[in-house]
Amino acid sequence: MTRALSWFFSLVALGAVALLVGVFVWQSLPVWHHEGWGYVTGTKWFFRQKEFGTLPMIYSTVIVGLIALVLAAPLGFGAAIFTAEYLPRRARLAVKVLIELLAGVPSVVYGLLGILLLRDWIYNLFEKFEPLSGDTLLTAGVLLAVMILPTIVTLSDDALRGVSSAQRRAARGLGLTHAETVLSIAIPQAKRGLGAALLLALGRALGETIAVFLVVGRQDNNMPEHIFSLRAWLEAGQTITSKLGGSETNIAYGDPVHWGAMIGLALLLLIMTGTVTLLGTGFGKRSDA
Amino acid sequence: MRKSLDFLLATITAFCALVAVALLVGLVAVIAQRGGPAVNWGFLTEQIRLVGAAGGIFWNLVGTLILLASALVVCLPLSVGLALVERVWLQREGSRRLLRTLLYTLNGVPSIVFGLFGFVVFVQWCGWGKSWLSGGLVLALMMIPTVTVSLIERLKAVPAKYVEAAAGLGLNRAQIVWAVLLPQAWGGVVTGSLLGLARAAGEVAPIMFTATIFAGATLPKGIKESPVLSLPYHIFILAQDSFDPSVGSKLWGAALVLLALVLFLSVIALPSRLKLHEEANV
Repeated sequence: MTRALSWFFSLVALGAVALLVGVFVWQSLPVWHHEGWGYVTGTKWFFRQKEFGTLPMIYSTVIVGLIALVLAAPLGFGAAIFTAEYLPRRARLAVKVLIELLAGVPSVVYGLLGILLLRDWIYNLFEKFEPLSGDTLLTAGVLLAVMILPTIVTLSDDALRGVSSAQRRAARGLGLTHAETVLSIAIPQAKRGLGAALLLALGRALGETIAVFLVVGRQDNNMPEHIFSLRAWLEAGQTITSKLGGSETNIAYGDPVHWGAMIGLALLLLIMTGTVTLLGTGFGKRSDA
Repeated sequence: MRKSLDFLLATITAFCALVAVALLVGLVAVIAQRGGPAVNWGFLTEQIRLVGAAGGIFWNLVGTLILLASALVVCLPLSVGLALVERVWLQREGSRRLLRTLLYTLNGVPSIVFGLFGFVVFVQWCGWGKSWLSGGLVLALMMIPTVTVSLIERLKAVPAKYVEAAAGLGLNRAQIVWAVLLPQAWGGVVTGSLLGLARAAGEVAPIMFTATIFAGATLPKGIKESPVLSLPYHIFILAQDSFDPSVGSKLWGAALVLLALVLFLSVIALPSRLKLHEEANV
């Protein structure tokens, strides 16, 4: 009985997950028929003209995620090195708890702070480049950096603590300084765990919706001529998630191709975050072995 | 040179940690300072008026609690079932690892994806329209990995000799589950649920298309077309046109209440998590 119940509830849960994947694959089929590869290589999205190119959104999603990662990684690693290598155990737990609380702050609260504070700061800071408003890819990236910082800190701290202290003591015994021990023993040993922390944080950044929605400007079809042009960072953009969170989702239902295009975006997002998350967990696991 | 490198690394990393902690303190301080004046008893017990510019957030709080309660009720049996399957009923390490990987992957699924899933399945196919139940089910699905993984960790920590003693007394596996494993590991369910609820309470993306509207709902009277108000969605909508100053103070007030709710849930989950930390470090 207990066994049957456990399996029953598990299968319900697994069935829901299978249904989730199935729904996104199946419902997005019409747009793949309609657009073919143009769906991921096209740069124009005009749903009234039945044009569904998602490249600008993929670009914005990736850029915003990378800005967040580049800003949060050094800060996060630094903080994790301090908590794991310098702080005594109780103080370490206290700092870790505070930082994990930061991870629990709802994204709509971050969004609110972004809309009422960060937006103006970015606008004033970059005024000489004449951004049209404070709603830019950069704003979204900076906001996401704060949001993924706790993930990086707490996972990196775990990775560093996973390095055995016998190795640290041996290094100190050989006459290495504290800093040398950290740089040449702890960090190389924890490399995989640190990489996993970055990947999992990136996964979170790519999928974050509400905070990005509020500050990214939601400007369709904003694709720079050069992929690495920094000017585009100070313009409004549209990420996959901000598109999905917008009102177009309500309009699209009922038109199979348009709806397929929206659901296809969710599928692309699922593939991106799924890959990053799987790589991250795989990465982390092998470091334990 | 070596000495100064030593000093430099300690200073730089200490600075990084300080910035990270300062971000949390600053964030809470800003919300508290701006939202504090708006929060009083009337704010929590009145309904919204004038598109959020007056009145309070009573039905938003009630709606959020309804969503959380339904999510928890749905999530608990599924999570306990999954954890028991992983720890007790699956015999091969390979299948266990597969199930765990699936849970981690599910944990990484963006919340908007859950929202769209709920929109297709419950709102459209089941024809419920916006309903508290669609929202509860979607949030339950989102909470499953947190609760399940937390219970699995606790089940792993149950000393093997307890299980052996129970088996020696002639208990079968199902009896061991009820008499030993679940009572010993129940803390994992509580911790996982609190953390899952803390996350679910603040989410907008899963419920914006499935369960919640901005104004004009009170207690749901059925399933079909029975949306609720909710706290995070309220903030989300008001944040988009936050130019009216009177809306502004109410907006920060609502954010403060939401933040307090979420931090409260995370903080009461703390003691048992810290205990697990300490055990793991011994």
